Amino acid sequence: MSTLLSLPTAASQYDWGIVWDNRSMLLNGLLTALEVSFVALIISMVLGMGLALVRMGRAPFSWIAAIYINVFRGVPALVSVIWVYFGLALVLDISFSVFQAGVIALSLLYSAFLAEIFRSALNAIPKGQKEAGLALGMKPVRIFFSITLPQATKIALPNVGNMFIGMVKDTSTFTVIGLLEVVRVTQNLVAETFQPFVLYTAAAALYVFVAFVLDFLFRLAERTLDTPPNGALSRGLRGRKQRRIQALIDAQPPVRPSTAT
Amino acid sequence: MRAATTVPPTQHDSPESAGAPAHRPSGPPVVELRQIRKSFGDLEVLKGIDLQVHKGEHVVVFGPSGSGKSTVLRSINLLEPPTSGSLKVAGVEYGPGLPGEGDVKKGKPLDLRRSVGMVFQSFNLFPHLTALENVCLPLRSVRGVKRDEAEQRSADALRRVGLLPRAAHFPGQLSGGQQQRVAIARALTLDPEVLLFDEPTSALDPELVGEVLSTMREVAELGMTMVIVTHELGFAREIGDLNVFMEDGVVVETGPRGFFDECHNPRTQKFISAVL
Repeated sequence: MSTLLSLPTAASQYDWGIVWDNRSMLLNGLLTALEVSFVALIISMVLGMGLALVRMGRAPFSWIAAIYINVFRGVPALVSVIWVYFGLALVLDISFSVFQAGVIALSLLYSAFLAEIFRSALNAIPKGQKEAGLALGMKPVRIFFSITLPQATKIALPNVGNMFIGMVKDTSTFTVIGLLEVVRVTQNLVAETFQPFVLYTAAAALYVFVAFVLDFLFRLAERTLDTPPNGALSRGLRGRKQRRIQALIDAQPPVRPSTAT
Repeated sequence: MRAATTVPPTQHDSPESAGAPAHRPSGPPVVELRQIRKSFGDLEVLKGIDLQVHKGEHVVVFGPSGSGKSTVLRSINLLEPPTSGSLKVAGVEYGPGLPGEGDVKKGKPLDLRRSVGMVFQSFNLFPHLTALENVCLPLRSVRGVKRDEAEQRSADALRRVGLLPRAAHFPGQLSGGQQQRVAIARALTLDPEVLLFDEPTSALDPELVGEVLSTMREVAELGMTMVIVTHELGFAREIGDLNVFMEDGVVVETGPRGFFDECHNPRTQKFISAVL
């Protein structure tokens, strides 16, 4: 590798200015990485929830789901994207764009991870919640969407955030199919400038920055979903709902049963 | 397996004569259990339960822990489907049925649960919804009531249990007693044929028991048909039109109002004197 042989030997030879000069290319790479990850996250969440439900359901389907989950949790992203781009495309006789291949590769892996996250979140909901829904005469589908899912989502959210950060990092392996994400951009720049240390450090900084931002965003979402008295933010965002209920309270006649406080 | 009855049954062999017939309302029962049995694996927890609940009646079921009283209650709305026996609500068969009666047309569990309300020991309010939404959700999803009307009716129900000012609160912001009253309001707005109470005060701080009992008293005065599993024998003595003492999965003794002072079975007497 010529780039490695030409590694500068003294710190003075590090040219940090090239990071700033090439900022738009790097940021475009980051944007691509985020786009692939975000689309894959949405798909993985839907697939993952489905997998979790199948996994918790009847055999033999639950076994199939368990096998899928255990296989794809172990497959490296690099292998996954090669399977999709060179293997799956051949089998299905479709040619995927590098973007599509990246999304599919990530979705295959992360639906398996998210299935386990959703499964443990669903299991964490007390049995009495479903029983209350049943006793009220609600249909199982309605119980799932109105009672179980909202509570499970809240429990799963911090881990989903972690998965998203992992997905963004895993896009770095998609350089192998030529996706212009952060690492691919970095490699291209290294080939021109022979500054691998500087450029890869800059790339790492971008990933760390994204991790911070995503962490913040997911915490925000978490706090928003949290019910009072926790989470001051949630109280503010629920203001409209609160005012609606207050109007109902004011509209009701003030008489109350004497026995009640 | 041990014998079906460990304690000599006093009256439960003939449901018609359960309690004092003179005090019992006539007409078809709202809830009728005949020879209900329930097993969890090898363990038989209900060994042939007979019970009739008539319209407007307040039935109290009591007995030591593990006697099967909660399981009886939970079998009435099929949260614990009986292993065998007949469960009729408003004349419709929902259980496996009795052997001699052939193939009776069975009702759907969903329809059963839409005519039977339940209040749980641990309240089971939905923590992600406000008090108002807790009452509102089943109205909208089960009865298909439009949002505005459902909210009005929910607010009215909360007002009746004295919790309208707390309508915008989440369960986590309410005391146990308040949560249970919301749960009662939630069950009441669906206008059930019969309301089941599964130890509604057992999870409460002692000082909060009173407010829940007084709400239940008000519900009873409205003429609601109620089946109450409870350890609050003072309350039971006051409210019970029919009192059922259970032990080891069988009904040991039943009796009308005044039962707590006049029961005959020595086991019942012993239990009552230990608790009251």
